[in-house]
Amino acid sequence: MLQFENLTKSFGAKSAVADVTLEIPDGQMVGVIGRSGAGKSTLLRMVNRLNDPTSGKMLHEGRDISALKGKDLLEWRSRCAMVFQQFNLVGRLDVITNVMTGRLYHHNIFTSMFSIFSAAERAFAIRALDRLGMAPTALQKAETLSGGQMQRVAIARALMQEPKIMLADEPIASLDPMNARLVMDALRRINQEDGITVLCNLHTLDTARSYCDRIIGMLDGKVVFDGTPPQLTDAKAREIYGAEADEAFSEGVTSTALKGTESKRANLRLAAE
Amino acid sequence: MSVTTLGGGDPVADFEQHRKDLRRQKLIMNLLFAGGFLLLLAFSINVSRFFPDRLAAGLPRIFEYFGTILPSLQWDVLFEGRNEAGRAPAGSLLYWYSDIGKYVRLLFETVLMALTGTIIGAAIAFLLSFPAARNLAPNGAVYWITRRVMEFFRGVPEILYALVFVFMVGIGPLAGVLAIAIHTAGALGKMFAEVNENASGRPVQGIRGVGGNWFEEMRYGVMPQVMPNFISYTLLRFEINVRASAVVGFVGAGGIGQELYHVISFYSDDRVLAVLILVVLMVTVVDLISERMRTFFIGKEAFAR
Repeated sequence: MLQFENLTKSFGAKSAVADVTLEIPDGQMVGVIGRSGAGKSTLLRMVNRLNDPTSGKMLHEGRDISALKGKDLLEWRSRCAMVFQQFNLVGRLDVITNVMTGRLYHHNIFTSMFSIFSAAERAFAIRALDRLGMAPTALQKAETLSGGQMQRVAIARALMQEPKIMLADEPIASLDPMNARLVMDALRRINQEDGITVLCNLHTLDTARSYCDRIIGMLDGKVVFDGTPPQLTDAKAREIYGAEADEAFSEGVTSTALKGTESKRANLRLAAE
Repeated sequence: MSVTTLGGGDPVADFEQHRKDLRRQKLIMNLLFAGGFLLLLAFSINVSRFFPDRLAAGLPRIFEYFGTILPSLQWDVLFEGRNEAGRAPAGSLLYWYSDIGKYVRLLFETVLMALTGTIIGAAIAFLLSFPAARNLAPNGAVYWITRRVMEFFRGVPEILYALVFVFMVGIGPLAGVLAIAIHTAGALGKMFAEVNENASGRPVQGIRGVGGNWFEEMRYGVMPQVMPNFISYTLLRFEINVRASAVVGFVGAGGIGQELYHVISFYSDDRVLAVLILVVLMVTVVDLISERMRTFFIGKEAFAR
């Protein structure tokens, strides 16, 4: 269980996240929605401490993770994987090395500096890549991949960490509809098969509705909605998106998810694990 | 009331006024800079006594010196070998270059000194360049200290380091190698650090996200991005170091410089030119090879993309 208690993050006088209190049980798939600047990214980045909270607490299984330092902090990050909007792969390293960096926390300085990974780690990495249909690219340089492929490699890297929680910061915002579908399906499958808690920032309502167990709506750093997809009424959504409401509601325009037969093939490929 | 009329009048007039003010400020600054520059220039000309009459008086003496170190070659014996007494006839190439064996050995030593010094220096520069990059340094103190250390390393010329090391480890190439290595560590370290400052932060954040420590962020997030530049700069530094290593011998730190100093101070005859020609040849050959290697590395990079 992940708990936030009055979590606040200020940049100067402005609060990006203001007084957020939440409880997220293990194994849930949570979508965080809200217009840009609502504090979604800051909230996620605080969970694995890429940003530090200004005040308030985060607890994971009762342990205060907002005060972790040194080795404890690295251990926490290794257990709490992050998937970035811009993938953040190392373009000049090959795909499998990118994935195996997910094990770095468990290496000593010698094996990590000289890139010495065990056969078991290589096998694990290949299996992780294979789950995402990326095994054939293992020896390619990451910078030669397309955006959708990069994001799947990034998810494989996250899987390599054997995380308890997977954070995804707008994982599909830079992807075309086909790849967005692949990536969201993969996250959902990881959530269901491995029981990993997934906390995911999304910028489209329909994606959040169709993939998540629970939706959290943020506005100006505060949580203004917390419930299941059916509970998210049009009026509620309009409140979350405020001035951008009309844009968010023309879901046909902003949607990044494919509907119908076009995505069947993609699904099949993923299921053929 | 709209924003454009806040100045109280016509927006065009406001803009023109603003532009005029900016231009006046700029003009004053430019005049100040120009005045300062001219003053400094006049001062430095005076200090270095760079006057036309002195230059005119000195020029003929340059040719005088070249006259004394020109070999007196004679066509009829130019390609003759040693005679029965085992001596090369005066006026032949062999007479001019009678010490060729020693020269070649020393030239080889010079290149090897530069190579060793460059490798050691580049290794130190590599290690220092990460804490010396503003975006990568773990904290301000480490950044400040490594920057100052590198400034000290490169602030002192090789020849002074060589003098000190000759006292420490004695006459010979080791002193030269150490001198070159230290100066290289400072000079290359600064360039490496600047390459690091241009590296993208995204891969670094990716590695931080998986729980990597600072060393792992550098090893996996930064190093793959910057290695091609590091190699290119190191090869360039190797060329510079070959020239430097030809000079450190003047204070006894090994290499061809030792012989050059010897022939200049004891004979000042055609042997000086003999050595100088070989030094120029060596530098040219090394430059050519190193440029080939650089295009090879960079070319391979471009192909991989």
